[in-house]
Amino acid sequence: MSDIKPVKDEGDTIPFYPDHVITEAKVVLGIVILAIIIGIIGSFAPVGVDEPANPLLTPAHVKPEWYFLALYQLLKYVPQTAGVVSIVLAVVIAALWPFIDRKKETTTKARNIRFVITVIGVIVVIGMTIWGGM
Amino acid sequence: MTHYKNIFSKRSRTVILFAAILIGVLLLAVATHQVMANSYLDENSSTTSSDPNWSVVENSVAVLNTEPENSVKGERPATVPAPEQSPCLSCHITGSNAGLWTPLARWVLFGTMGLIFVFGIVKTGTVIVTRSPWKPLTNRGVEWVDERYQLSEPMAKILSKPVPKFALHWWYCLGGITSFLFVVQAITGIMLAFYYKPTPEAALASIQYIETQVRFGSAIRAIHHWAANGMIVMCIAHMLRVFIMGVYKAPREMNWVSGFVLLILTLVFGFTGYLLPWDQTAYWASTVGTSIGGAIPIIGDLVLVFLRVGWDVTGETLSRFFALHVMVVPIITVVFMVAHFFMIRRQGIAKPL
Repeated sequence: MSDIKPVKDEGDTIPFYPDHVITEAKVVLGIVILAIIIGIIGSFAPVGVDEPANPLLTPAHVKPEWYFLALYQLLKYVPQTAGVVSIVLAVVIAALWPFIDRKKETTTKARNIRFVITVIGVIVVIGMTIWGGM
Repeated sequence: MTHYKNIFSKRSRTVILFAAILIGVLLLAVATHQVMANSYLDENSSTTSSDPNWSVVENSVAVLNTEPENSVKGERPATVPAPEQSPCLSCHITGSNAGLWTPLARWVLFGTMGLIFVFGIVKTGTVIVTRSPWKPLTNRGVEWVDERYQLSEPMAKILSKPVPKFALHWWYCLGGITSFLFVVQAITGIMLAFYYKPTPEAALASIQYIETQVRFGSAIRAIHHWAANGMIVMCIAHMLRVFIMGVYKAPREMNWVSGFVLLILTLVFGFTGYLLPWDQTAYWASTVGTSIGGAIPIIGDLVLVFLRVGWDVTGETLSRFFALHVMVVPIITVVFMVAHFFMIRRQGIAKPL
């Protein structure tokens, strides 16, 4: 509980209402305007649909949604059972990561290492996604 | 009650400016939508092979507009005849029934004028009778609620909670953007659900109907489509921000876990929603996706049968994915979001190194 330090110094804080609420309201208005612009573009060029589903006719290039493309590409090149087991394990480890990495941090060294790991990971996943989409 | 004063301060001018821009864009959208939709239909009415099959919709509308067969003269109809009604069943949706909105517009205009008139009489009369200055309606409302429920003290405590200044950096907005996109998805999703039919025969035709006939249908579907992708991107960006800063550590472990569950739920949203158009892309993407789940050792077959309701993707799968997409997953998501926000509120925003 020692980590929860109520901020005493008024100079470092702003009140939740109205300052913080108004800041959030600006973000919300920005998203709403963006959504309306998307809607206007969508009126010009609807998202559209493909041919009706035909279970008897497999298309030449079967692809999952874009956010599963990296996984799909991985499963093409590793044995399927091993690949799926490693993915499930990775998800479980990621979900319980705070219970694994419990070390208290006093310097920014660990943060920099995590930053580099994340950047490399994101580049690899984006690369796999583009490769899987081709 | 000093907290309520600031809402008309200088700071809120920016908000009012944003709102004016928003209203302007909305009016522009209303004014131009019909023209744009018509021009799109004119350009794409020639049937090329890549175009969607618009004739499905036209036929379904034509069937709706024809007379029933058993209304032959001289012969007694087998069923009770339908009451007299407008021959065009979809005119109120397509906007071609121009007179439909006029009564509502008149009610709103003259009703507002009448209310202002009544309010003026009441205000003047009260001031004359009680010989005391007029209290604004908002103050009266606040006092009325406060007399009964004593809300002003806890509300003031909640609203005046100090927020650290470093939380105004843009990367602290990612989680908030995700949650607002969820609200956008809920609203547009309910709008689409009014016209969508979750059966293999009608699903594709109902989506073509939404895109061609329903007013703002294609706009709403485009917002739902792109905000879904944006929600996944923002969710992952928020998670990476938390990971890099290392703010998932004690005492905030359960916040990370609940956020991770929310990421999985967002992916389930995307996965189940992708099948709903029931076109070739959706069908085969779902086939591939569920087969990945089926490759899990030991419980793979169970997962596959649970997802597909059988060994193949069929109409039963569509019903199940629709129920998951519009009922089960939203309820679980709201529960986890409330827990997530409650923990943030109790523990405050983590201070980075």
